[in-house]
Amino acid sequence: MKGSWWKILSVVLMLYVIVVGFLMPLKPGIVNVTPQNLNSGEEVTLEVELYNADITEQNKSQIRAWLIRDTTYILQSQRVNVVNDQLLEIDFNLPEHLPTDEEVMAFTLVVDAPDMGSSVLPSGIFVGQSGGNQSLGAEAWSRGGLVNLSVYKGFGIPYRNLLAETLRNTYFHVSLWFAMFILYFVSVIYSIRYLRKREVYFDQVGSSLVEVGTLFGILGLITGAIWAKNTWGTYWTADVKLNMAAISMMIYAAYLVLRISLADADKRAIISSSYNIFAFFIIIPLIFVIPRLTDSLHPGNGGNPGFGGEDMDNTMRMVFYPAILAFTLLGLWMANLMMRYKRIRNKLDEI
Amino acid sequence: MRYKSIALTIIGFFYANVLMAQSGGPDFFRSIGKIYVVVAVMVATFIGIVIFLVYLDRKIKSIEDEISSHD
Repeated sequence: MKGSWWKILSVVLMLYVIVVGFLMPLKPGIVNVTPQNLNSGEEVTLEVELYNADITEQNKSQIRAWLIRDTTYILQSQRVNVVNDQLLEIDFNLPEHLPTDEEVMAFTLVVDAPDMGSSVLPSGIFVGQSGGNQSLGAEAWSRGGLVNLSVYKGFGIPYRNLLAETLRNTYFHVSLWFAMFILYFVSVIYSIRYLRKREVYFDQVGSSLVEVGTLFGILGLITGAIWAKNTWGTYWTADVKLNMAAISMMIYAAYLVLRISLADADKRAIISSSYNIFAFFIIIPLIFVIPRLTDSLHPGNGGNPGFGGEDMDNTMRMVFYPAILAFTLLGLWMANLMMRYKRIRNKLDEI
Repeated sequence: MRYKSIALTIIGFFYANVLMAQSGGPDFFRSIGKIYVVVAVMVATFIGIVIFLVYLDRKIKSIEDEISSHD
């Protein structure tokens, strides 16, 4: 077993990722609000369904709620009634006019309770008006202020509307792509070494890494499609991130076809090694640059997410980074087995 | 000594479960129902790895057949 520590590490890390990744609770959040379409001038009661909320007798009377727009226009609620620990009834007196001429404005609902932190439903409440007065509206919507917001002290990963529990997919779907990229990077090093030294061993390692990397990439597409079906209602949509990922996989599918189609071993090794180097440098702009230049539906995209944004925090990184390492080591193990098969195959063919 | 550490690890896992159950109150885990998407993703990943194993298994089998026919 000496020299296998990294295989054991991959299994231990994977177990850690599965157990801790599933047990870490989500922070409190707003699941649903009814009704969502309101009219100005109304007195309305919103039924707000919370998730993982921790409403106790002590903080029951201190729950506050606001409707906000860009933190410029703020309206505080009249009364908050606690139906049960996951259901609130919030009364709002909507002013006669909206702060803009728009017929319908989207507002964000903020619910705050001590120790529970602030839960947000972004742009989830729509208020309509007929013939508004902008200045009166702006005055009426600027009376409140978001003050003394509490912070959730418990342990948990961010609650994101739309994502909810599927935020945990970050540990699997995203890690698969990261591991794929690391495997491809290592394979490029071996392809360069093959082209310099012309030792068949380097080609065996490089091609095995590409095969496993491509398997991870295809699994990344499939897991993404499963998530998309549940979240967007379709397995595939013409989103820039999705399309670029699919093109990347096709480039590597062409690599596999190329290797099968060349019968001569030396020719196959030389051509596929050079192709692999080019392919790697093509997928860098395809996956990392182009999706950031435009808008994308994909979570964590648009602008420059880097390693942050609101979809990732330090509690998630405790699982996410080990997950990347676990999938990478598992991939290296799988590539290692494939390489050993190829070495034996090669020895047999030489006899 | 070895068994003691294994036992402690197992107890640790169960204790973590107990802690989660206490802080969570009712079963929030399935209340939205989206956790099944995560389960489906994990199953898909596992199936992918199994497909790789089957593929490699068949390749190694072909070598074994070749070696046994040499004897």
